[in-house]
Amino acid sequence: MAGIIGIYLFDRRWNAYNFGIFGLMALQHRGQETAGMEILNESKQKITGKGLVEQAFASVSGKGNILIGGVSPYPAEEAEALPITVSNKVSASIDGRVTSIDGYRWDAGLSYEANLRRSYEELESGSEELEAIKDYFSRCRGGFSYVAANNKGEVLAGRGSLGVKPLVLGKMGFDGGIVASESCVMDIIGERVPISPAENIEPGEAMVFTPMSARSERVQNSSKRAYCIFEYVYLARPDSYINDVPVYRVRREIGRRLAQEGSVDADVVIGVPETAIPFAMSYSNETGIPVEKGFELTGRRVRSAMKPNQVERLKGVQLKLNVISEAVRGKRVVLIDDSVVRGNTLANIVYLMKEKGAKEIHVRIGSPHIVSHCPFGVEVPGEDELIGRHLKEDKIAEVIGADSFKYLSLDGLVEATGLKCGEFCTGCFNGIYPEVE
Amino acid sequence: MKILLVGGGGREHAIAQSLAGSAHCPRLYCISELINPGIRKIVKSGGGEYIRGDTNDPSAVVGASLKFGPDFVFVGPEEPNFHGIPDALEARGIPCIGASREVAELELSKASMRDLQWKYKIPGRLWYKKFKTFEEAVPYIEEYAESIALKPARQAGGKGVKVIEDFQVYLQDDKRKVKKEHAESIVNEYMKGYDDIEYRLLIEERVWGPEYTVQCFTDGRTVVPMPAVQDNKHAFDGDLGPETGGMGSISCCMNLKYGVEDERAVITEEEYRRSAEIVKMMIDAVQKETGKRYHGISAGQMMLTSVWGPTVIEMYSRLGDPEAANVLTMLKTDLVDICEAIICEDLNRVKVEFEDQAVVVKAVCPEGYPDRRDLAKGHPVALSASGNTDRILWASAEDAGNSIVTGGSRVVECIGTGDTLPEASAKAEELCRGVGLSDGWNLFHRSDIGTEKSVLRRVQLGNMAREIYQYRERRGLLGKRMIWIPGKGLMEVG
Repeated sequence: MAGIIGIYLFDRRWNAYNFGIFGLMALQHRGQETAGMEILNESKQKITGKGLVEQAFASVSGKGNILIGGVSPYPAEEAEALPITVSNKVSASIDGRVTSIDGYRWDAGLSYEANLRRSYEELESGSEELEAIKDYFSRCRGGFSYVAANNKGEVLAGRGSLGVKPLVLGKMGFDGGIVASESCVMDIIGERVPISPAENIEPGEAMVFTPMSARSERVQNSSKRAYCIFEYVYLARPDSYINDVPVYRVRREIGRRLAQEGSVDADVVIGVPETAIPFAMSYSNETGIPVEKGFELTGRRVRSAMKPNQVERLKGVQLKLNVISEAVRGKRVVLIDDSVVRGNTLANIVYLMKEKGAKEIHVRIGSPHIVSHCPFGVEVPGEDELIGRHLKEDKIAEVIGADSFKYLSLDGLVEATGLKCGEFCTGCFNGIYPEVE
Repeated sequence: MKILLVGGGGREHAIAQSLAGSAHCPRLYCISELINPGIRKIVKSGGGEYIRGDTNDPSAVVGASLKFGPDFVFVGPEEPNFHGIPDALEARGIPCIGASREVAELELSKASMRDLQWKYKIPGRLWYKKFKTFEEAVPYIEEYAESIALKPARQAGGKGVKVIEDFQVYLQDDKRKVKKEHAESIVNEYMKGYDDIEYRLLIEERVWGPEYTVQCFTDGRTVVPMPAVQDNKHAFDGDLGPETGGMGSISCCMNLKYGVEDERAVITEEEYRRSAEIVKMMIDAVQKETGKRYHGISAGQMMLTSVWGPTVIEMYSRLGDPEAANVLTMLKTDLVDICEAIICEDLNRVKVEFEDQAVVVKAVCPEGYPDRRDLAKGHPVALSASGNTDRILWASAEDAGNSIVTGGSRVVECIGTGDTLPEASAKAEELCRGVGLSDGWNLFHRSDIGTEKSVLRRVQLGNMAREIYQYRERRGLLGKRMIWIPGKGLMEVG
């Protein structure tokens, strides 16, 4: 996965650079390993760097009224920073994964990016024409969203036909348009619109910006939808709208359903920061069991689950989650987390909490068990590492040292979104993936 | 009966149609810079004459009047008002529908308009500051200005206004830089060549809410409001893109309802009534101030804001373009009767009626508009013969003898009618599709104007502004703004 952005300011007096920086910061939760942007006016400037946005862009500056950029959760050694240079005149930030390209034979010996470049050269002769870029993305299959730009100051930003990855359109008054993975970007750098911060871009649809026009076009036909359901559980920010559904509303609803599905007698509800906090608040509202702040963080806020190795993840968890003993001592605790992958960070949390005197710990997870990989770029470890694939709930409770352990049902999760079951990709929870034609 | 029409845009084509449809069967004459193909057709079929001329030159218009001997002259655009055309005509004893130079000050000088509105304490007044030079404005922009609208102090063909939201401190440097640059270009570019006004630049507080225009006929004694119309200023679908002169406008009944039989509306009947009352107060104030009679049209370009409810953004001294097409399509009363009553100052005796219907007007433009008019100009236009051509108004287009070519701005305006706005929008859409350029250059228009999604968004925006202003009204805070400046104390404006 990744966070992607495109900023198109009509008036050349604007400099999109700082808008890009703060826009990418608003997407930082979608990738913390590398960040980059390409900024255009008469010339083109590419800036990429490692780490958080503020680190990647420290001591550089850019100038131009058109910008595309991205943040990525993949370490620089494993993947190129966004945007990817597709040909010498076309670049693209892509969230998710292009899994195949019509008319091109994927070369397993090449890197992902090298395959994109070769296919672009083969299929479109590297052309920077808007029609070529459009044709290229119409051939792409998989679960992805993209923002592409050429040297002529034209931008194409769209969603793959399945709509796995989100993309929204926002505005800056008469001065410009903004596309981004999530609507929270508009709150941070867009205009203050009292109605809704952004418009959903539909699967298969793309926004086209040229110096003389801005319009929506259908690049691919989209009959079947496969929205990533994990966006609602963990990936997206709670202040964003994904597919026109407010993420916070879904998270609140998840908490409510957890209370119904996994009710238990307890003294206090505690959410594992940050993602599970709304689940816990809503669980508390539903049951009347008071919610408490159970943890205090040391250092910078990081998304520990997205760290590439186990030591880094545990480091992240231990620094992020110092248990506040007064909140748990002598109490029966409902501990809520968003998801469980391997189970060892959760085991660590349960251990720390027991050490601080919690009497009982009942773990509730705001999503079903993760049993399978993600073909669309969300990092899920090998199947042999997934605790939910191999162990039943009772066993997991024993392993992590909790008094009880319960997942939210998949039906419960789908219902919490308010969207229909057939509209989702739920592959990580049940191994059923959308057909990628 | 003979009438001379001054001006050759889409608005004047709408006026010409309306006048030509009168029971008085007037013979129409016209003078404008470009020969509008639609007006030309009407003029020809009535046996009148169409001459090319400078409509801002009193001698040219008076000359044409003396030549044709019309019963009255109808002035379409604002600039002839600013150039004293109505005054020159009246000095010759030629009756005229058109604001005289002094009352047209309401539109000409956005600074004078606000001065007057504050002096007479007319509701819906925004906080503002006027400047004679760019240098004067700089320290102000640097120190105080936050979310503001930068405007040329004079009406400059609707161009040069920029609204900049500046509440994100982390983007402040970028925004202030653009504010300053734009303020400078207002003074040096947009205001260049206008020497009829002392002030150059106006800075106003930025407000939000749905915009609408309330156009009124007036003879100086009676003010007759026409249905509220909402223009769409963004160039592209979804309210995206740079500001234009207007890409299309919607109206339904008097208060911008969703449909004739619908409860939903952008503004309430009460807000419509209050808006018309504000226009009347502005007319009264300018007449009192100048001692002149207002004969013609005065319009409030309004916004329903959270601060005031109905709020004046700008005043027009003429019909709007494309808003004219909406109201004149809805007008049931004979326009010539209304004009005669304005001239005789007995407008109170005419019952002015409007059809309860939805009207959607969509402008079709050559690519390049609004920022690259040089590229948008000179392309030959092809209209498919099917469809009701009375519903297509020619705007920025010139009859070049054997072909009609684009003038660089909105080339035609297509009118759709129906019981609901989406219905009318679909009809206008159909007409838009029949317009093309025979040299292959692209045309564009806004397909979203008047659609359910677009209209309901505006209804919703109105609801949000209403909730806040009504709350303020209940608390006696309407129009009041209070700012606590640490160390200085409480500042009250309003």
